[in-house]
Amino acid sequence: MKKIKGKEITILFFKYIILIAFAIMCLYPIIWMFLASFKTNDELYINPWGFPQSIRFDNYIRAIVEGNVGTYYINSIIITGAVLLVSVCLSFMASYAITRMNWKYSKVVLNIFVLGMLIPVYATIVPLFSIFKTIGLLNTRLAVIISHIAFGFPIAIFIMTGFLSTIPREIEEAAVMEGCSIYRILFNIIFPISRSSVVTVAVIVFLNSWNDLLLPQIFLTDQLKMPLPVGLTEFQGQYYTDYASMIAAVVLVIIPSIIIYILLHKNIMEGMVAGAVKG
Amino acid sequence: MEKIFGDKKAILVLVLPAFIIYIIFVLIPIGYNIYISLFRTNLMSPGIFVGFTNYKNLFQDATFIKALKNNLFMVVGSLIAHLPLALFFANMLFQKIKGGNFFQNVFFLPCVISGVAVGLMWTFVYHSEFGLLNKFLELMGHGDLKQVWLANKDTAMFCIIVVVMWMYVGYHMVIQIAAMKSIPESLYEAAWIDGANAWKRFTCVTFPLIKHILKIDAVLIITGSLKYYDLVAIMTGGGPNHATELMSTYMYYQGFRTLKYGYSAAIGVILFLLCIAAVVIANLLFRSEQIEY
Repeated sequence: MKKIKGKEITILFFKYIILIAFAIMCLYPIIWMFLASFKTNDELYINPWGFPQSIRFDNYIRAIVEGNVGTYYINSIIITGAVLLVSVCLSFMASYAITRMNWKYSKVVLNIFVLGMLIPVYATIVPLFSIFKTIGLLNTRLAVIISHIAFGFPIAIFIMTGFLSTIPREIEEAAVMEGCSIYRILFNIIFPISRSSVVTVAVIVFLNSWNDLLLPQIFLTDQLKMPLPVGLTEFQGQYYTDYASMIAAVVLVIIPSIIIYILLHKNIMEGMVAGAVKG
Repeated sequence: MEKIFGDKKAILVLVLPAFIIYIIFVLIPIGYNIYISLFRTNLMSPGIFVGFTNYKNLFQDATFIKALKNNLFMVVGSLIAHLPLALFFANMLFQKIKGGNFFQNVFFLPCVISGVAVGLMWTFVYHSEFGLLNKFLELMGHGDLKQVWLANKDTAMFCIIVVVMWMYVGYHMVIQIAAMKSIPESLYEAAWIDGANAWKRFTCVTFPLIKHILKIDAVLIITGSLKYYDLVAIMTGGGPNHATELMSTYMYYQGFRTLKYGYSAAIGVILFLLCIAAVVIANLLFRSEQIEY
Protein backbone atom coordinates (compact mmCIF):
# COMPACT_ATOMS: atom_id res chain seq x y z
CA MET A 1 0.00 0.00 0.00
CA LYS A 2 2.84 2.33 0.83
CA LYS A 3 5.29 3.83 -1.64
CA ILE A 4 8.19 5.70 -0.17
CA LYS A 5 8.52 9.05 -1.85
CA GLY A 6 11.04 11.80 -1.43
CA LYS A 7 8.64 13.90 0.55
CA GLU A 8 7.99 11.13 3.04
CA ILE A 9 11.68 10.63 3.61
CA THR A 10 12.10 14.31 4.42
CA ILE A 11 9.21 14.15 6.87
CA LEU A 12 10.68 11.06 8.48
CA PHE A 13 14.05 12.78 8.73
CA PHE A 14 12.57 15.75 10.58
CA LYS A 15 10.62 13.44 12.85
CA TYR A 16 13.81 11.74 13.94
CA ILE A 17 15.56 15.07 14.48
CA ILE A 18 12.76 16.17 16.82
CA LEU A 19 12.61 12.85 18.62
CA ILE A 20 16.36 12.70 19.10
CA ALA A 21 16.46 16.30 20.31
CA PHE A 22 13.82 15.59 22.92
CA ALA A 23 15.51 12.36 23.95
CA ILE A 24 18.74 14.28 24.50
CA MET A 25 16.84 16.81 26.61
CA CYS A 26 15.48 14.00 28.75
CA LEU A 27 18.76 12.18 29.21
CA TYR A 28 21.40 14.88 29.16
CA PRO A 29 20.84 16.34 32.65
CA ILE A 30 21.10 12.83 34.09
CA ILE A 31 24.26 12.01 32.17
CA TRP A 32 25.74 15.40 33.03
CA MET A 33 25.16 14.73 36.73
CA PHE A 34 26.71 11.32 36.49
CA LEU A 35 29.85 12.78 34.90
CA ALA A 36 29.90 15.71 37.32
CA SER A 37 29.78 13.36 40.29
CA PHE A 38 33.40 12.40 39.54
CA LYS A 39 34.65 15.95 39.29
CA THR A 40 36.17 18.11 42.01
CA ASN A 41 34.42 21.31 43.03
CA ASP A 42 36.95 23.40 41.08
CA GLU A 43 36.54 21.27 38.00
CA LEU A 44 32.78 21.93 38.08
CA TYR A 45 33.41 25.61 37.45
CA ILE A 46 36.21 25.28 34.93
CA ASN A 47 34.98 22.31 32.96
CA PRO A 48 31.20 21.93 33.29
CA TRP A 49 30.61 20.11 30.00
CA GLY A 50 33.41 17.63 29.46
CA PHE A 51 34.44 14.34 30.94
CA PRO A 52 36.05 14.32 34.39
CA GLN A 53 39.87 14.35 34.41
CA SER A 54 39.95 11.07 36.27
CA ILE A 55 37.48 8.68 37.87
CA ARG A 56 37.62 9.48 41.57
CA PHE A 57 35.19 8.30 44.18
CA ASP A 58 36.06 11.05 46.70
CA ASN A 59 32.68 12.72 46.27
CA TYR A 60 30.83 9.49 46.91
CA ILE A 61 32.93 8.73 49.96
CA ARG A 62 32.37 12.23 51.34
CA ALA A 63 28.64 11.95 50.68
CA ILE A 64 28.40 8.58 52.41
CA VAL A 65 30.72 9.23 55.36
CA GLU A 66 30.28 12.92 56.16
CA GLY A 67 26.89 13.46 54.56
CA ASN A 68 25.22 10.47 56.26
CA VAL A 69 23.95 9.17 52.93
CA GLY A 70 24.74 5.63 54.08
CA THR A 71 22.36 5.96 57.04
CA TYR A 72 19.65 7.54 54.87
CA TYR A 73 20.02 4.65 52.45
CA ILE A 74 19.48 2.05 55.14
CA ASN A 75 16.42 3.94 56.41
CA SER A 76 14.98 4.15 52.92
CA ILE A 77 15.46 0.43 52.46
CA ILE A 78 13.81 -0.36 55.81
CA ILE A 79 10.83 1.92 55.16
CA THR A 80 10.27 0.97 51.54
CA GLY A 81 10.85 -2.72 52.25
CA ALA A 82 8.29 -2.82 55.04
CA VAL A 83 5.75 -0.83 53.01
CA LEU A 84 6.23 -3.08 50.01
CA LEU A 85 5.76 -6.33 51.92
CA VAL A 86 2.71 -5.33 53.95
CA SER A 87 0.99 -3.34 51.28
CA VAL A 88 1.31 -5.98 48.55
CA CYS A 89 0.11 -8.79 50.87
CA LEU A 90 -2.84 -6.94 52.39
CA SER A 91 -4.04 -5.41 49.14
CA PHE A 92 -3.80 -8.80 47.40
CA MET A 93 -5.88 -10.44 50.14
CA ALA A 94 -8.49 -7.68 50.09
CA SER A 95 -8.64 -7.64 46.27
CA TYR A 96 -9.18 -11.39 46.20
CA ALA A 97 -12.06 -11.23 48.66
CA ILE A 98 -13.59 -8.30 46.80
CA THR A 99 -13.52 -9.85 43.31
CA ARG A 100 -13.70 -13.61 43.85
CA MET A 101 -15.87 -14.12 46.89
CA ASN A 102 -19.60 -13.56 47.24
CA TRP A 103 -20.78 -10.99 49.74
CA LYS A 104 -23.22 -8.15 49.70
CA TYR A 105 -20.92 -5.19 50.29
CA SER A 106 -18.01 -6.10 48.02
CA LYS A 107 -18.84 -3.35 45.48
CA VAL A 108 -19.26 -0.74 48.21
CA VAL A 109 -15.95 -1.60 49.83
CA LEU A 110 -14.19 -1.52 46.46
CA ASN A 111 -15.61 1.93 45.71
CA ILE A 112 -14.54 3.24 49.12
CA PHE A 113 -10.98 2.06 48.45
CA VAL A 114 -10.84 3.38 44.88
CA LEU A 115 -12.23 6.79 45.84
CA GLY A 116 -9.06 7.19 47.87
CA MET A 117 -7.20 7.97 44.65
CA LEU A 118 -8.94 11.36 44.63
CA ILE A 119 -7.75 12.32 48.10
CA PRO A 120 -4.71 14.57 48.24
CA VAL A 121 -2.42 13.66 51.11
CA TYR A 122 -2.50 17.30 52.27
CA ALA A 123 -6.06 16.84 53.49
CA THR A 124 -4.78 14.40 56.10
CA ILE A 125 -1.30 15.41 57.23
CA VAL A 126 -2.23 17.63 60.18
CA PRO A 127 -4.59 15.00 61.66
CA LEU A 128 -2.08 12.21 60.98
CA PHE A 129 0.57 14.24 62.79
CA SER A 130 -1.82 14.65 65.70
CA ILE A 131 -2.76 10.95 65.75
CA PHE A 132 0.85 9.79 65.67
CA LYS A 133 1.69 12.26 68.40
CA THR A 134 -1.10 10.90 70.61
CA ILE A 135 -0.12 7.26 70.17
CA GLY A 136 3.56 8.06 70.57
CA LEU A 137 4.67 7.11 67.07
CA LEU A 138 5.96 10.53 66.10
CA ASN A 139 9.60 10.48 65.07
CA THR A 140 9.54 6.74 64.36
CA ARG A 141 9.92 5.07 60.99
CA LEU A 142 6.70 3.21 61.75
CA ALA A 143 4.66 6.42 61.35
CA VAL A 144 5.99 6.84 57.80
CA ILE A 145 5.52 3.15 57.03
CA ILE A 146 1.89 3.07 58.20
CA SER A 147 0.89 6.16 56.26
CA HIS A 148 2.60 4.98 53.08
CA ILE A 149 0.78 1.64 53.40
CA ALA A 150 -2.58 3.32 53.95
CA PHE A 151 -2.16 5.67 50.99
CA GLY A 152 -0.92 2.82 48.78
CA PHE A 153 -4.15 0.81 49.06
CA PRO A 154 -6.36 2.67 46.54
CA ILE A 155 -4.05 2.26 43.56
CA ALA A 156 -2.87 -1.23 44.61
CA ILE A 157 -6.40 -2.54 45.04
CA PHE A 158 -7.54 -0.82 41.85
CA ILE A 159 -4.87 -2.58 39.75
CA MET A 160 -5.22 -5.97 41.45
CA THR A 161 -9.02 -6.16 41.34
CA GLY A 162 -8.80 -5.28 37.65
CA PHE A 163 -6.55 -8.26 37.05
CA LEU A 164 -8.17 -10.76 39.41
CA SER A 165 -11.60 -10.33 37.88
CA THR A 166 -10.24 -11.70 34.57
CA ILE A 167 -9.18 -15.08 35.96
CA PRO A 168 -11.54 -17.88 34.85
CA ARG A 169 -13.66 -19.46 37.58
CA GLU A 170 -12.75 -23.02 36.52
CA ILE A 171 -9.31 -22.82 38.08
CA GLU A 172 -10.73 -22.22 41.53
CA GLU A 173 -13.53 -24.73 41.07
CA ALA A 174 -11.03 -27.45 40.26
CA ALA A 175 -9.07 -26.55 43.38
CA VAL A 176 -12.17 -26.75 45.54
CA MET A 177 -12.89 -30.21 44.14
CA GLU A 178 -9.41 -31.23 45.23
CA GLY A 179 -10.36 -30.10 48.73
CA CYS A 180 -8.20 -26.96 48.97
CA SER A 181 -9.06 -24.38 51.61
CA ILE A 182 -9.69 -20.80 50.58
CA TYR A 183 -6.28 -19.72 51.87
CA ARG A 184 -4.47 -22.41 49.91
CA ILE A 185 -6.35 -21.38 46.76
CA LEU A 186 -5.37 -17.80 47.42
CA PHE A 187 -1.68 -18.26 48.10
CA ASN A 188 -0.75 -21.42 46.17
CA ILE A 189 -2.90 -21.07 43.06
CA ILE A 190 -4.07 -17.51 42.47
CA PHE A 191 -0.98 -15.70 43.75
CA PRO A 192 1.43 -17.44 41.32
CA ILE A 193 -0.75 -16.75 38.28
CA SER A 194 -1.19 -13.10 39.28
CA ARG A 195 2.54 -12.51 39.28
CA SER A 196 2.56 -9.78 36.65
CA SER A 197 -0.07 -7.66 38.39
CA VAL A 198 1.67 -8.19 41.73
CA VAL A 199 4.92 -6.93 40.20
CA THR A 200 3.10 -3.92 38.73
CA VAL A 201 1.64 -3.04 42.12
CA ALA A 202 4.98 -3.62 43.82
CA VAL A 203 6.90 -1.23 41.54
CA ILE A 204 4.29 1.50 41.94
CA VAL A 205 4.31 1.13 45.72
CA PHE A 206 8.12 1.10 45.65
CA LEU A 207 8.37 4.31 43.62
CA ASN A 208 5.78 6.16 45.72
CA SER A 209 7.45 5.24 48.97
CA TRP A 210 11.08 5.60 47.82
CA ASN A 211 10.47 9.04 46.32
CA ASP A 212 8.20 10.59 48.95
CA LEU A 213 9.47 13.68 50.72
CA LEU A 214 6.49 15.19 52.54
CA LEU A 215 5.50 12.49 55.04
CA PRO A 216 8.98 11.63 56.35
CA GLN A 217 9.77 15.34 56.47
CA ILE A 218 6.81 15.91 58.77
CA PHE A 219 6.97 12.80 60.95
CA LEU A 220 10.73 12.45 61.47
CA THR A 221 12.97 14.90 63.30
CA ASP A 222 15.84 12.55 64.12
CA GLN A 223 18.45 12.61 61.34
CA LEU A 224 19.39 8.99 62.02
CA LYS A 225 15.89 7.82 61.05
CA MET A 226 15.44 9.83 57.86
CA PRO A 227 15.12 8.24 54.42
CA LEU A 228 16.94 9.57 51.36
CA PRO A 229 14.65 12.36 50.09
CA VAL A 230 14.58 14.14 53.46
CA GLY A 231 18.23 13.30 53.94
CA LEU A 232 19.03 15.13 50.73
CA THR A 233 17.33 18.27 51.97
CA GLU A 234 19.43 18.05 55.17
CA PHE A 235 22.48 17.59 53.01
CA GLN A 236 21.53 20.66 51.00
CA GLY A 237 21.40 22.69 54.20
CA GLN A 238 24.66 21.45 55.68
CA TYR A 239 27.07 21.25 52.78
CA TYR A 240 25.76 24.06 50.75
CA THR A 241 29.06 24.78 49.03
CA ASP A 242 30.22 21.23 48.50
CA TYR A 243 28.30 20.77 45.25
CA ALA A 244 30.38 17.85 44.02
CA SER A 245 29.44 15.56 46.89
CA MET A 246 25.83 16.73 46.75
CA ILE A 247 25.75 15.67 43.10
CA ALA A 248 27.21 12.31 44.10
CA ALA A 249 24.44 11.95 46.70
CA VAL A 250 21.77 12.68 44.08
CA VAL A 251 23.28 10.05 41.77
CA LEU A 252 23.13 7.51 44.60
CA VAL A 253 19.43 8.30 45.11
CA ILE A 254 18.37 7.93 41.49
CA ILE A 255 20.38 4.78 40.69
CA PRO A 256 17.86 2.30 42.21
CA SER A 257 14.94 3.97 40.43
CA ILE A 258 16.75 3.87 37.11
CA ILE A 259 17.80 0.23 37.50
CA ILE A 260 14.23 -0.78 38.36
CA TYR A 261 12.98 1.27 35.42
CA ILE A 262 15.34 -0.47 33.01
CA LEU A 263 14.29 -3.91 34.28
CA LEU A 264 10.57 -3.34 34.75
CA HIS A 265 9.57 -0.36 32.60
CA LYS A 266 6.63 -2.28 31.14
CA ASN A 267 5.11 -2.84 34.57
CA ILE A 268 5.83 0.70 35.70
CA MET A 269 4.10 2.22 32.69
CA GLU A 270 1.18 -0.16 33.00
CA GLY A 271 0.74 0.67 36.68
CA MET A 272 1.09 4.41 36.32
CA VAL A 273 -1.22 4.56 33.34
CA ALA A 274 -3.82 2.31 35.01
CA GLY A 275 -3.90 4.64 37.98
CA ALA A 276 -4.24 7.59 35.68
CA VAL A 277 -7.20 6.29 33.76
CA LYS A 278 -9.32 6.27 36.90
CA GLY A 279 -7.46 9.20 38.47
CA MET B 1 -18.60 -24.33 46.41
CA GLU B 2 -21.00 -21.66 47.62
CA LYS B 3 -19.88 -22.37 51.15
CA ILE B 4 -16.23 -21.86 50.45
CA PHE B 5 -16.59 -18.63 48.42
CA GLY B 6 -19.20 -17.20 50.76
CA ASP B 7 -17.29 -18.00 53.95
CA LYS B 8 -17.95 -14.91 56.07
CA LYS B 9 -15.04 -15.54 58.41
CA ALA B 10 -12.53 -15.84 55.57
CA ILE B 11 -13.87 -12.65 53.96
CA LEU B 12 -13.38 -10.73 57.19
CA VAL B 13 -9.86 -12.11 57.65
CA LEU B 14 -8.92 -11.07 54.11
CA VAL B 15 -10.55 -7.64 53.89
CA LEU B 16 -10.44 -6.23 57.40
CA PRO B 17 -6.69 -5.65 57.85
CA ALA B 18 -6.48 -3.40 54.80
CA PHE B 19 -9.86 -1.80 55.42
CA ILE B 20 -9.17 -0.90 59.06
CA ILE B 21 -5.77 0.66 58.28
CA TYR B 22 -7.35 2.57 55.40
CA ILE B 23 -10.25 3.87 57.53
CA ILE B 24 -8.07 4.93 60.46
CA PHE B 25 -5.24 6.54 58.51
CA VAL B 26 -7.00 7.92 55.43
CA LEU B 27 -10.76 8.40 55.89
CA ILE B 28 -10.98 9.44 59.54
CA PRO B 29 -8.17 12.01 59.16
CA ILE B 30 -10.15 13.78 56.41
CA GLY B 31 -13.05 14.40 58.77
CA TYR B 32 -10.71 15.19 61.64
CA ASN B 33 -8.91 17.69 59.40
CA ILE B 34 -12.13 19.65 58.85
CA TYR B 35 -12.68 19.62 62.61
CA ILE B 36 -9.14 20.88 63.37
CA SER B 37 -9.53 23.64 60.79
CA LEU B 38 -12.22 25.20 63.02
CA PHE B 39 -9.80 25.63 65.92
CA ARG B 40 -6.82 27.70 66.85
CA THR B 41 -4.53 25.01 68.16
CA ASN B 42 -0.91 24.01 68.61
CA LEU B 43 -2.02 20.38 69.20
CA MET B 44 -0.53 20.50 72.73
CA SER B 45 -3.00 22.37 74.92
CA PRO B 46 -6.72 22.15 74.08
CA GLY B 47 -7.47 24.44 71.14
CA ILE B 48 -9.85 27.36 71.04
CA PHE B 49 -12.91 27.00 68.82
CA VAL B 50 -12.86 29.84 66.30
CA GLY B 51 -15.46 28.74 63.75
CA PHE B 52 -14.62 29.84 60.23
CA THR B 53 -12.07 32.45 61.33
CA ASN B 54 -9.18 30.46 59.87
CA TYR B 55 -10.85 30.48 56.46
CA LYS B 56 -11.70 34.18 56.72
CA ASN B 57 -8.10 34.97 57.63
CA LEU B 58 -6.80 32.83 54.78
CA PHE B 59 -8.59 34.91 52.19
CA GLN B 60 -7.17 38.09 53.70
CA ASP B 61 -3.68 36.61 53.87
CA ALA B 62 -1.72 38.09 50.96
CA THR B 63 0.74 35.18 50.93
CA PHE B 64 -2.04 32.61 50.69
CA ILE B 65 -3.65 34.54 47.83
CA LYS B 66 -0.25 34.60 46.13
CA ALA B 67 0.06 30.84 46.65
CA LEU B 68 -3.41 30.27 45.24
CA LYS B 69 -2.57 32.40 42.21
CA ASN B 70 0.69 30.53 41.71
CA ASN B 71 -1.19 27.24 41.84
CA LEU B 72 -3.63 28.49 39.20
CA PHE B 73 -0.69 29.69 37.12
CA MET B 74 0.78 26.20 37.52
CA VAL B 75 -2.52 24.64 36.39
CA VAL B 76 -2.78 26.79 33.29
CA GLY B 77 0.95 26.63 32.56
CA SER B 78 1.03 22.85 32.89
CA LEU B 79 -2.06 22.39 30.73
CA ILE B 80 -0.55 24.52 27.96
CA ALA B 81 2.88 22.96 28.33
CA HIS B 82 1.84 19.33 28.67
CA LEU B 83 -1.19 18.51 26.59
CA PRO B 84 -0.15 19.71 23.12
CA LEU B 85 3.43 18.55 23.44
CA ALA B 86 2.46 15.16 24.81
CA LEU B 87 -0.14 14.79 22.08
CA PHE B 88 2.39 15.78 19.43
CA PHE B 89 4.86 13.10 20.53
CA ALA B 90 2.16 10.54 21.18
CA ASN B 91 0.84 10.90 17.64
CA MET B 92 4.35 10.69 16.24
CA LEU B 93 5.33 7.56 18.14
CA PHE B 94 1.98 5.89 17.65
CA GLN B 95 2.59 5.66 13.88
CA LYS B 96 4.89 2.64 14.08
CA ILE B 97 8.15 4.44 13.67
CA LYS B 98 11.42 2.56 13.94
CA GLY B 99 12.85 2.85 17.45
CA GLY B 100 9.51 4.12 18.73
CA ASN B 101 9.66 1.97 21.86
CA PHE B 102 13.10 3.27 22.68
CA PHE B 103 11.95 6.89 22.49
CA GLN B 104 8.86 6.11 24.53
CA ASN B 105 10.97 4.58 27.28
CA VAL B 106 13.40 7.49 27.31
CA PHE B 107 10.65 10.13 27.43
CA PHE B 108 8.91 8.36 30.29
CA LEU B 109 12.06 7.92 32.40
CA PRO B 110 12.13 11.31 34.21
CA CYS B 111 8.85 10.75 36.02
CA VAL B 112 10.10 7.72 37.96
CA ILE B 113 12.94 9.69 39.56
CA SER B 114 12.37 11.19 42.99
CA GLY B 115 11.15 14.80 42.86
CA VAL B 116 13.84 15.76 45.35
CA ALA B 117 16.61 14.39 43.14
CA VAL B 118 15.09 16.06 40.07
CA GLY B 119 14.79 19.34 41.94
CA LEU B 120 18.42 19.25 43.07
CA MET B 121 19.56 18.24 39.60
CA TRP B 122 17.83 21.24 38.08
CA THR B 123 19.16 23.64 40.70
CA PHE B 124 22.53 22.66 39.24
CA VAL B 125 21.29 23.30 35.73
CA TYR B 126 20.02 26.74 36.78
CA HIS B 127 23.02 27.46 39.01
CA SER B 128 24.27 30.99 38.42
CA GLU B 129 27.97 30.09 38.22
CA PHE B 130 28.54 26.57 36.91
CA GLY B 131 24.95 25.90 35.85
CA LEU B 132 24.41 24.43 32.40
CA LEU B 133 21.95 27.08 31.32
CA ASN B 134 24.22 30.04 31.96
CA LYS B 135 27.22 28.23 30.51
CA PHE B 136 25.18 27.45 27.42
CA LEU B 137 24.15 31.10 27.02
CA GLU B 138 27.81 32.08 27.34
CA LEU B 139 28.74 29.54 24.70
CA MET B 140 26.15 30.97 22.33
CA GLY B 141 27.54 34.46 22.89
CA HIS B 142 24.53 35.65 24.87
CA GLY B 143 26.36 36.16 28.16
CA ASP B 144 24.20 39.22 28.81
CA LEU B 145 21.13 37.00 29.20
CA LYS B 146 22.68 35.20 32.16
CA GLN B 147 20.44 35.13 35.22
CA VAL B 148 20.31 33.98 38.80
CA TRP B 149 17.37 31.98 37.51
CA LEU B 150 15.82 30.64 40.69
CA ALA B 151 16.49 33.69 42.85
CA ASN B 152 14.84 36.07 40.41
CA LYS B 153 11.13 36.45 41.11
CA ASP B 154 10.33 37.00 37.43
CA THR B 155 11.97 33.81 36.18
CA ALA B 156 11.63 31.40 39.11
CA MET B 157 8.09 30.25 38.37
CA PHE B 158 8.81 29.63 34.68
CA CYS B 159 11.93 27.68 35.60
CA ILE B 160 9.83 25.41 37.79
CA ILE B 161 7.22 24.86 35.08
CA VAL B 162 9.98 23.81 32.69
CA VAL B 163 11.12 21.19 35.21
CA VAL B 164 7.56 19.96 35.68
CA MET B 165 7.38 19.62 31.90
CA TRP B 166 10.67 17.75 31.75
CA MET B 167 9.33 15.34 34.34
CA TYR B 168 5.82 14.68 33.09
CA VAL B 169 5.47 15.16 29.31
CA GLY B 170 6.54 11.54 28.76
CA TYR B 171 4.04 10.33 31.33
CA HIS B 172 1.10 12.04 29.65
CA MET B 173 2.38 10.90 26.27
CA VAL B 174 2.28 7.26 27.38
CA ILE B 175 -1.30 7.66 28.65
CA GLN B 176 -2.31 9.04 25.26
CA ILE B 177 -0.47 6.36 23.31
CA ALA B 178 -2.31 3.73 25.35
CA ALA B 179 -5.58 5.38 24.31
CA MET B 180 -4.56 5.55 20.64
CA LYS B 181 -3.65 1.86 20.62
CA SER B 182 -7.24 0.96 21.48
CA ILE B 183 -8.51 2.52 18.24
CA PRO B 184 -9.22 -0.28 15.74
CA GLU B 185 -6.84 -0.49 12.78
CA SER B 186 -9.80 -0.75 10.37
CA LEU B 187 -10.75 2.89 10.93
CA TYR B 188 -7.33 4.00 9.72
CA GLU B 189 -7.53 1.71 6.72
CA ALA B 190 -10.89 3.22 5.83
CA ALA B 191 -9.44 6.73 6.19
CA TRP B 192 -6.50 5.71 4.01
CA ILE B 193 -8.79 4.44 1.28
CA ASP B 194 -10.74 7.72 1.43
CA GLY B 195 -7.43 9.44 0.76
CA ALA B 196 -7.07 11.18 4.09
CA ASN B 197 -3.63 12.63 4.71
CA ALA B 198 -1.78 12.40 8.02
CA TRP B 199 -3.30 15.60 9.40
CA LYS B 200 -6.84 14.53 8.38
CA ARG B 201 -6.29 11.11 9.93
CA PHE B 202 -5.31 12.78 13.16
CA THR B 203 -8.13 15.32 13.30
CA CYS B 204 -10.90 13.04 12.05
CA VAL B 205 -9.98 9.66 13.54
CA THR B 206 -7.43 9.81 16.34
CA PHE B 207 -8.43 13.00 18.10
CA PRO B 208 -12.19 12.42 18.42
CA LEU B 209 -11.62 8.87 19.62
CA ILE B 210 -9.16 9.74 22.37
CA LYS B 211 -11.06 12.78 23.60
CA HIS B 212 -12.32 10.98 26.68
CA ILE B 213 -8.76 10.07 27.69
CA LEU B 214 -7.64 13.65 27.09
CA LYS B 215 -10.32 14.73 29.52
CA ILE B 216 -8.98 12.36 32.17
CA ASP B 217 -5.48 13.49 31.37
CA ALA B 218 -6.46 17.14 31.83
CA VAL B 219 -7.98 16.32 35.21
CA LEU B 220 -4.74 14.59 36.15
CA ILE B 221 -2.69 17.60 35.13
CA ILE B 222 -4.95 19.94 37.10
CA THR B 223 -5.01 17.91 40.30
CA GLY B 224 -1.30 17.21 39.86
CA SER B 225 -0.55 20.93 39.57
CA LEU B 226 -2.49 21.58 42.75
CA LYS B 227 -0.43 18.98 44.57
CA TYR B 228 3.19 19.71 43.56
CA TYR B 229 5.40 19.94 46.56
CA ASP B 230 8.87 18.36 46.38
CA LEU B 231 10.17 20.28 43.38
CA VAL B 232 9.30 23.67 44.78
CA ALA B 233 10.29 22.77 48.33
CA ILE B 234 13.75 21.79 47.09
CA MET B 235 14.39 24.34 44.36
CA THR B 236 13.17 27.57 45.95
CA GLY B 237 11.40 26.72 49.21
CA GLY B 238 8.62 29.03 48.02
CA GLY B 239 10.99 31.98 47.61
CA PRO B 240 12.23 34.46 46.53
CA ASN B 241 9.83 36.51 48.63
CA HIS B 242 6.95 34.00 48.11
CA ALA B 243 7.22 34.31 44.31
CA THR B 244 6.94 30.52 43.95
CA GLU B 245 4.90 29.80 47.09
CA LEU B 246 2.28 27.11 46.49
CA MET B 247 -0.59 26.05 48.70
CA SER B 248 1.31 22.89 49.62
CA THR B 249 4.52 24.67 50.63
CA TYR B 250 2.58 27.34 52.48
CA MET B 251 0.60 24.69 54.29
CA TYR B 252 3.80 22.97 55.39
CA TYR B 253 5.26 26.28 56.52
CA GLN B 254 2.17 27.33 58.53
CA GLY B 255 1.68 23.94 60.13
CA PHE B 256 5.11 22.58 60.77
CA ARG B 257 7.29 25.69 61.01
CA THR B 258 5.07 28.21 62.80
CA LEU B 259 2.87 25.53 64.43
CA LYS B 260 -0.47 27.05 63.43
CA TYR B 261 -2.10 23.68 62.87
CA GLY B 262 -5.67 24.94 62.60
CA TYR B 263 -4.66 27.39 59.89
CA SER B 264 -2.67 24.72 58.10
CA ALA B 265 -5.60 22.28 58.26
CA ALA B 266 -7.83 24.92 56.66
CA ILE B 267 -5.42 25.10 53.70
CA GLY B 268 -5.64 21.31 53.49
CA VAL B 269 -9.43 21.48 53.30
CA ILE B 270 -9.29 24.06 50.51
CA LEU B 271 -6.82 21.94 48.53
CA PHE B 272 -9.06 18.92 48.96
CA LEU B 273 -12.14 20.83 47.76
CA LEU B 274 -10.26 22.19 44.73
CA CYS B 275 -9.19 18.68 43.70
CA ILE B 276 -12.74 17.36 44.02
CA ALA B 277 -14.07 20.40 42.15
CA ALA B 278 -11.66 19.77 39.26
CA VAL B 279 -12.95 16.22 38.87
CA VAL B 280 -16.61 17.17 39.15
CA ILE B 281 -16.36 20.10 36.73
CA ALA B 282 -14.48 18.05 34.16
CA ASN B 283 -17.16 15.37 34.38
CA LEU B 284 -19.92 17.90 33.91
CA LEU B 285 -18.20 19.71 31.05
CA PHE B 286 -17.41 16.63 29.02
CA ARG B 287 -20.06 14.02 29.64
CA SER B 288 -17.93 11.10 28.63
CA GLU B 289 -19.65 8.97 26.07
CA GLN B 290 -18.22 5.49 26.36
CA ILE B 291 -17.13 4.36 22.94
CA GLU B 292 -17.83 0.78 21.93
CA TYR B 293 -16.32 -0.76 18.84
